Amino acid sequence: MLAYIIQRVVQSALVLLVVGLVAFSMFRFVGDPVDNMLGQERTQADIERLREVLGLDQPFVVQYYKFLSNAAQGNFGVSYRQGRPVAEILMERAPATLELAAVSGFLAISIGIALGVFTAIRRNGVGANLIMSVSLIGVSLPTFLIGILLIYLFSVELGWLPSFGRGDTVMIGGWSTGFLTSSGLQALILPSITLGLYQMTLIMRLVRSEMLEVLRQDYIRFARARGLRERAVNFRHALKNTLVPVITVTGLQLGSIIAFAIITETVFQWPGVGLLFINAIQFVDIPVMAAYLMLISVMFVGINLIVDLLYFAIDPRLRVDRTGAH
Amino acid sequence: MMRKLTGTALAAMLIGNVGLAEEFKWAETTDPQTMDPHAVNSAPVLGFLNNVYEGLVRRGKDMAIEPALATAWEPIGEGEGWRFMLREGVTFHGGEAFDADDVIFSYQRASNEASDTRSWFAPVSDVIKVDDYTVDIMTTAPNPIFPDSIANWMIMDSGWAEANGTSLPDKENGNYATLNTNGTGAFMVTAREPGLRTVLEPHASWWDEAEHNITRAELTPIQNPATAVAALLSGDVDLINPVPIQDAARLSADSSVQVIQGIEARVIMLGFPHEADALKYSAETTDANPFADARVRRAVAHAVNVPAILQTIMRGSAEPASQLVSPAMRGYSAALAERPAFDPDMARALLEEAGYGDGFSFGLKCPNDRYLNDEAVCQAVTGMLAQVGITAVLDAMPVQNYWPELRADNYDMYLLGWSPGTFDAEHPVRFLASTPNEEKKLGSWNFGGFSNARVDELLPMIQSEIDDTKRQAMLDETAKILQDEVAYVPMYVQPLVWGAGANVALTQRPDNFFILRWVTVN
Repeated sequence: MLAYIIQRVVQSALVLLVVGLVAFSMFRFVGDPVDNMLGQERTQADIERLREVLGLDQPFVVQYYKFLSNAAQGNFGVSYRQGRPVAEILMERAPATLELAAVSGFLAISIGIALGVFTAIRRNGVGANLIMSVSLIGVSLPTFLIGILLIYLFSVELGWLPSFGRGDTVMIGGWSTGFLTSSGLQALILPSITLGLYQMTLIMRLVRSEMLEVLRQDYIRFARARGLRERAVNFRHALKNTLVPVITVTGLQLGSIIAFAIITETVFQWPGVGLLFINAIQFVDIPVMAAYLMLISVMFVGINLIVDLLYFAIDPRLRVDRTGAH
Repeated sequence: MMRKLTGTALAAMLIGNVGLAEEFKWAETTDPQTMDPHAVNSAPVLGFLNNVYEGLVRRGKDMAIEPALATAWEPIGEGEGWRFMLREGVTFHGGEAFDADDVIFSYQRASNEASDTRSWFAPVSDVIKVDDYTVDIMTTAPNPIFPDSIANWMIMDSGWAEANGTSLPDKENGNYATLNTNGTGAFMVTAREPGLRTVLEPHASWWDEAEHNITRAELTPIQNPATAVAALLSGDVDLINPVPIQDAARLSADSSVQVIQGIEARVIMLGFPHEADALKYSAETTDANPFADARVRRAVAHAVNVPAILQTIMRGSAEPASQLVSPAMRGYSAALAERPAFDPDMARALLEEAGYGDGFSFGLKCPNDRYLNDEAVCQAVTGMLAQVGITAVLDAMPVQNYWPELRADNYDMYLLGWSPGTFDAEHPVRFLASTPNEEKKLGSWNFGGFSNARVDELLPMIQSEIDDTKRQAMLDETAKILQDEVAYVPMYVQPLVWGAGANVALTQRPDNFFILRWVTVN
């Protein structure tokens, strides 16, 4: 058990280091930040002086090493664009992304499961077929297009909801929340639907197929034979057994909701870390890009590690194999 | 305190007659990266801070300079410098009084090695406090346009800066002035969240008469053009800059918004490798540089159909350019307003004459996110040049990759836009047409290394000529040489396209600065 955990942790750390190395080797191709930092009246000497100050004249391996050794001491550098510590900026932007991801995740799970169950139970009904057809749109339309369509319908044409931004926020400790103001809640609606739509249709289709599978099982037939009410059969017996694979997939999707918030945040000018990252690319703000990429890879590697360890706990076959090797 | 309150109440009542006191929101593509007026010399920063800080002089609605913190100025002696008479009774947002010490301090701060704005003070030898409200700025040589060149030099309170440890700007790590402001301008920054929003409120004891009726203004950067247009249409913002050219017609058709168009100071042109021995990206011409021959460059000028580009790609909103500055700039040569006619036959004849009758291929470098529709313009140019037999291989890239390519001389022809920071025709001569000279800080954007002895000789004379007529004659001569030599092929002046709510009245200036104190919301 311990050997397995150690092996997994070491693997995860290696993956992180490689991600960082690849990221740093790519930064050169994003462009040169000095032109953005210096004005029109810069001279060649200014350019060289700034490149030296920023350490851009060094090979990328050296830059990476410096980043790692500073990061190990909790110092992620100073943003080229804002002239403020990157850690401070990330902490300031994280609540926006996390709140958006939480609401989208909640919508995706609750509506996804409800619709999945509905379409499974009424699988030949008109409503279920309609929902299945419409859900194809959710899977196939790109996020930015859905976002723009929603903005044009609900903000421009109907004027019900704000077209961009996060509305008013309230500071609680170091956390800025949009949950406590009406404009903050209104601002959440369109982006969270846009971000969660893909996951919602995914969960819905997953729940539907799993549920159809379960409903064919013998114990469901026996339950019906025992004269249990339809509701008890569907929700107490069938749905419960459907949820195991759904939970696994949902867990893995959580990471991608946060990581792929970039597009939604750009369309809605949502002030989260994704928008920060896009701006950082445009400005070649290397410290921000590096910190963001490392943060996201830590998150993904962490989720994968937890899943791996959970499998180990849940699936006895893994343990049997290990002990068998002794 | 009581008096101040009544004053505010009275002002509110007066404004109430014009229309209700108004909150104004606007969106721009780029957030000003700092609030420090001396740290970065870039249009988004200086444009925004013009609402907050003020200089000795400021630019009016017609771009001409007018008194601001100085009430008057005059040359000293035979052009040894300029004397500025300062305005009395001006207070900073924090309540500090403005005097000559703040000017001296701001000179030292803005001309320091750590400041991006120091090149403005290259001609200055000394700044002397004559009394509390008189300052002499001495120049190494007579400098007729010095007052014009410092319109964006903003004055900071010395006591405030020193107390907050921001005596010098810090671009790399930032300091107090990166996030906080204390100017004398019509508006003060009351909240600053970098990249998210910046809130402005009127400066109650501003020295000048307020033209606006705004009680609170908020700037939000919106990068995605479609989002910005939607925000304007839905009324979430009152102004967006810029409006994508392709959306301008649709927006004008909507009665709730207006499209405000003007001509920017920026001239878009094609540049050449004057110094290169050979083309870099040619399939066959690898041992010669056709663009070193002025006839080939002239052929390019005749082959590009500028009216067609303006009509199709720029949708009629831009104007053709014949020289490196637009007609709105000081020192523009009115006699040279004609640009080479579109004449493919003449272009072919010129190529034939230069020995390239069979044409040649070369590489055209172009940014794809720097100027309005830049990549589309380059594609059009490529097609037009192909008509006369020279084949461009177009390579378009984001601007952060573009400048390093140009600096490394990786081009056979390139696209460049130039907006003169001083709004004077001398500016592009210094940066684009002078022989590059690192030490004298000349020709720093002259990537192709264009060099003409007479132009190099004229530049210092232009810079120190006090007599306007003589100066204009020299500028005309320079512009004539650049046209005859086809140093660049100026194509058009980039348009400014802003979108605003129908109830907004404002003034658009060619430098693309958004001046809040000229805005009224009805």
